[in-house]
Amino acid sequence: MARDPKHDILFEPIQIGPKVMKNRFYQVPHCNGFGSEKPFSQAYFRALKAEGGFAGVATEYCSISPESDDTHRMSARIWDDGDIKNLSLMCDMLHERDALAACELWYGGPHAPNMESRCVARGPSQIPSDFEFLTYAIEADKDDIRYLQNLYVEAAKRARTAGFDIVYVYGSHSYLPQQFLTPFYNHRTDEYGGSFENRARFWRETIEMVKEAVGDDCAICVRMSTDMFLGEAGTQLKRDCLPFVELVDHLVDVWDINLSGIAEWGEDATPSRFYPQGRALPWQAAVKAISKKPVLGVGRWTNPDMMAEAINEGKLDIIATCRPSTSDPFLPKKIDEGRLDDIRECIGCNVCISRWEIGGPPLICTQNATAGEEYRRGWHPERFTKAANADNDVLVVGSGPAGMECAMVLGKRGMRRVHLVEAQDDMGGTMRWIPELPGLGEWARIVNYRKIQLDKLKNVEFIPNMKLSAKDVAEYGAEIVIVATGSYWSTDGLNGASHATIDGADASLAWQATPDQIMGEGKELAGDSVVVFDNDGYYTGVSMAEKLAMEGKKVTLMTPLGTVGPYMHFTLEAPNQHRRLHKLGVEIVPYHLPSRVEEGMVVATHIYDEDGHEKSFAADGVVWVAQRRSNEALFRELKDSIGLEQLKAEGVDALYRIGDCEAPRLTADAVFSGHRLAREIDSADPSIPLPFKRERRMVDAESVTREKAEYEAMYAGASS
Amino acid sequence: MRTVVCIKQVLQLGDEVEFTDDGLDVDPEYLDPALNEWDSFATEEALQLRERLGGEVVVVTCGPKQSEAALRRCLAMGADRAIRVEGAGRDPFSVARALAGVVRGESADLVLCGVQSSDAVQAATGTALAELLDLPRAAVITRLDYSGAGTAVVDRELEGGLIDRVEVETPAVLTIQTGINEPRYANLRAIKQAEQVEIDVRSAAGGGTPAYRIRKMFVPERGEGAEMIDGSPAEIAARIASIVKERLA
Amino acid sequence: MSVLVIAEHLRGQVRDVTRELITAGRELGPVTVAVIGQEPGSLVDAVNLDGVAEIVTVTIAAGEFENDAYQAAVEALIADRQPRVTLLGFTVNSMAYGPAAAVRLGLGFASDVHGVALDGDAVIATRSFYGSKVSAELDFPGADGVMLLLRPTVWAPAEGQGSASVSSLEVAAVPSRARHREIVEATTSSDVDITQADFLLSIGRGIGDKENVEMFEELAEKMGATLSVSRPLVDAGWMPSSRQVGQSGKTVKPTVYLAFGISGAVQHLAGMKTSGTIIAVNTDPEAAIFNVAQYGAKADLFDVAEELEKLF
Repeated sequence: MARDPKHDILFEPIQIGPKVMKNRFYQVPHCNGFGSEKPFSQAYFRALKAEGGFAGVATEYCSISPESDDTHRMSARIWDDGDIKNLSLMCDMLHERDALAACELWYGGPHAPNMESRCVARGPSQIPSDFEFLTYAIEADKDDIRYLQNLYVEAAKRARTAGFDIVYVYGSHSYLPQQFLTPFYNHRTDEYGGSFENRARFWRETIEMVKEAVGDDCAICVRMSTDMFLGEAGTQLKRDCLPFVELVDHLVDVWDINLSGIAEWGEDATPSRFYPQGRALPWQAAVKAISKKPVLGVGRWTNPDMMAEAINEGKLDIIATCRPSTSDPFLPKKIDEGRLDDIRECIGCNVCISRWEIGGPPLICTQNATAGEEYRRGWHPERFTKAANADNDVLVVGSGPAGMECAMVLGKRGMRRVHLVEAQDDMGGTMRWIPELPGLGEWARIVNYRKIQLDKLKNVEFIPNMKLSAKDVAEYGAEIVIVATGSYWSTDGLNGASHATIDGADASLAWQATPDQIMGEGKELAGDSVVVFDNDGYYTGVSMAEKLAMEGKKVTLMTPLGTVGPYMHFTLEAPNQHRRLHKLGVEIVPYHLPSRVEEGMVVATHIYDEDGHEKSFAADGVVWVAQRRSNEALFRELKDSIGLEQLKAEGVDALYRIGDCEAPRLTADAVFSGHRLAREIDSADPSIPLPFKRERRMVDAESVTREKAEYEAMYAGASS
Repeated sequence: MRTVVCIKQVLQLGDEVEFTDDGLDVDPEYLDPALNEWDSFATEEALQLRERLGGEVVVVTCGPKQSEAALRRCLAMGADRAIRVEGAGRDPFSVARALAGVVRGESADLVLCGVQSSDAVQAATGTALAELLDLPRAAVITRLDYSGAGTAVVDRELEGGLIDRVEVETPAVLTIQTGINEPRYANLRAIKQAEQVEIDVRSAAGGGTPAYRIRKMFVPERGEGAEMIDGSPAEIAARIASIVKERLA
Repeated sequence: MSVLVIAEHLRGQVRDVTRELITAGRELGPVTVAVIGQEPGSLVDAVNLDGVAEIVTVTIAAGEFENDAYQAAVEALIADRQPRVTLLGFTVNSMAYGPAAAVRLGLGFASDVHGVALDGDAVIATRSFYGSKVSAELDFPGADGVMLLLRPTVWAPAEGQGSASVSSLEVAAVPSRARHREIVEATTSSDVDITQADFLLSIGRGIGDKENVEMFEELAEKMGATLSVSRPLVDAGWMPSSRQVGQSGKTVKPTVYLAFGISGAVQHLAGMKTSGTIIAVNTDPEAAIFNVAQYGAKADLFDVAEELEKLF
């Protein structure tokens, strides 16, 4: 297949300072949980994007000093030679694949809680962070300012030594240089605060110094938020940013332009729930209009036509992505080869970001089960080995996300025949109705992508409208049976808070319902008022409340938790979701657990009320988003009633289950579970995941001896 | 009762194409074989007749060895016997003659064919076959009402959504339209069993003039694009309206 | 080179494809149009168009089309007039008798033909193979006559008053083994199933805002079309996926596919390009959909839509 000539512009090289990027695809700094202390995971993750065609790939935010330690969140670090060594692996692997390596030098100032280093940060003014509680910085004096600037210079030199081609003086998302620029953070009255020129001084000087130190060898990138949406107090496009661009344009080799501060950075890393792709374009275009240097910017770009349009219309020079590069590292290659229907498009769920927000875990991706597994499990998203037991037929029962993914990978691994059988009339399982919840339309890409891929696989057949009994499964003729029958929402109020059902809860009654019934079966609740009981913690309860409110019902959203949908804080959807609920007049009732329900009423108690006072809530209808339960019946019947021995007699050698029917989980994890089983279908026992590589320091005799000696030397001569 | 179903293994072309050296066909490397979509509906119809009226379903195809995969799909669905006749040309009349040679000996109550094949779209083989067998026929059937003897009442799907209800004397040849039923799927056991069935292979008698001869095959120029309608929005709308009304008449 | 055109009619109306056959036939030689029916005289005027040299009527017993009767009539006409080329529309009716007559008379035959030319004395027909991706030129060596079933909407319908001579041909009645009983209107299901619609009005990203969906919904209703959409509108949550046309949505083959603001991404085209007649309205003249459409207009969607509403 050939590239569409409309997309040629995306493959034109571009000069960035002393370097050349071979095309217009760039992976902008983003977190993956690997940092400098899991160097192989880091390098393999980034290298894969280069293999997929990205001409420039950045680290995540890279701390320049122990004073800027973001623990619990994972950043990269470039503090010392060991870090140089570790990050150089990433640079080498990127260079081997013809891509430039970028290092985003970061100093968090008051946002960095320093929970590992126990150092204290310096910042423009001593106001605690609006992002991290309990974090104060030293209010920097002139010496501190010189010290800080020197941190950037030394870090830039270390980055150069490691092999980085592009070095950032990163301010976006309200980190140090931008804190100086922004009145919200900078209440100084000396020459580093007050007027625009003063507020810009720190950043300008730092850029000058870094440029002088490494500018001949490395391209200098400045990443700036063009609008923090904090009104006059925040950074503003016309008042602060465009003048800053004019001020330092001659020093900068490439601009990385985004939006928002750090407290609501979902305005930049836009969830698809609230924003379409290319949201930042008007701001990026405004910078491009006055800068003489290349401008790059993110926008959750997945549509190559829109990418080309952005460049052709003079709004951007380089298409930068994070999330779309994670959901498909081969995005550029696929566009280049005209294989647009093979692109695994980002759905904007921000589950990847949620892992960083939670602090600690490596990133995962709903669409791409191999994200984060490049090194740990050796998974390559485009390469599949032929299964050693390929000479077998497989029956996958259920075509939700887990079943589809499993069938797809089994197909790609060359299994003789794979039948993906589905009781409903089309693929997708619950992912057929989830995208119909308000704002989640792009989530349908989970199904769309797999549908297209499955259709291409000659050894995979999709059979709809077939509900298989255990007997049907046993007699189906498959040597390997994989059950992927998903989950359902509990109908009796069973929930994780009380571990009990709720008196009166019965979704078979006309005035009660679960999300499955409403969305999947079209059940409608009569009346004007509804109580949605939510102990799920993610989007379902909140979305049901939103949907019912949009239909005109008076909605009470009740949860035993302190806030609704807390996981949405990690996906950056919470602020706008709360605005939405507020606008729709949804009454949020936290800390409450129903003790019983009767027609017309939900009776609940405050979970911290030791006297257990009951409060009544009027409700014509009740929606139970209490907890999910696996649809285990088929699997249990196969394993318990028929039994593995009898199955063997029928020719079924192996029985597995994946996804929600094993245990309800995030869609990303359901997809992962299907993928893993298929990747490991030829291992000794596919039901148990194979061990994955862990990057850790292992004890060896030599280091034990050395550490002991160092410790003793430290205390030699000390008084006891 | 015996129903004979004439099926075809069609060849599907992807996005890339290269031609054979003589320029008369697409290089087989670029073609993927599959059972003709219409024929799975025809086979299903035959199986439903057998379920109601008893008897036998025989599937017949005219094609090379690789077309046996299509016969096996039908066997996996539940057909009883399969016959492949080889050595005939690929145009509708050569195929019809080859099929007639086999069907003649089968004493069929009904002969079902798909309306057309997805790769050639001639919609001619079934009707030509009927003529060669000197049997009554009806084409483009979306409903079949047959008690096993006497006349069958069929619905023909005309353009524009109208149905022509016709009474056909039997034995007859009927060409079956998609959507008449929901073709059943075969499970893996049935597919495996179908792999083992022996297919009866015959040679076409040959003779007779082909319907046509291909003298050149090519990729049409992209310039064969849309006829552009010019003018003001009102003029454009008027033209669109007249096209729409004409097509749906 | 004489040409015989078999007129197609239903419920007393001559179908447009007949006029298209006349246009095609005119390019090859003098055209004789045959009208076969219970009261063929009533249809003569409708086929007396510019370029028709002769009209022959054949009276049959059946009130509507019956394939045995038509076959016998056509065979008699061919025996009588000895045309070099006999033209039928590639229609449901023609499928039921055309190939039978051709194989019986030893004629050359091809259907779904979209190009006809003469190479010296030889008739060359052009048609598609392999799902319309390739075309082929066919000839008919050794055949005295050729029967071609022409694809509707390719040739423009003939217009203008003709001055054809009119005569009739007596054809002995034959047993009609497939007898017309009645015409039935197909029942429409209440669920929206865009794959069953005969006429789809399809909207894409070009319509701009969600608010504009309603306007096209109303237009569709007025025109008697079912509304369908391309993927971006489903992604944005404006319409449910049951309305989506495309590789990951539904594949449709309506008689008419009228597209507003759809650029024609590969995945979308895969779902609708075998539609009967595709009409595309888009402001971008380079839109890929124009490559598969039969008719296109580079115009403002809303202006055209507004005008269309007045006509239905």
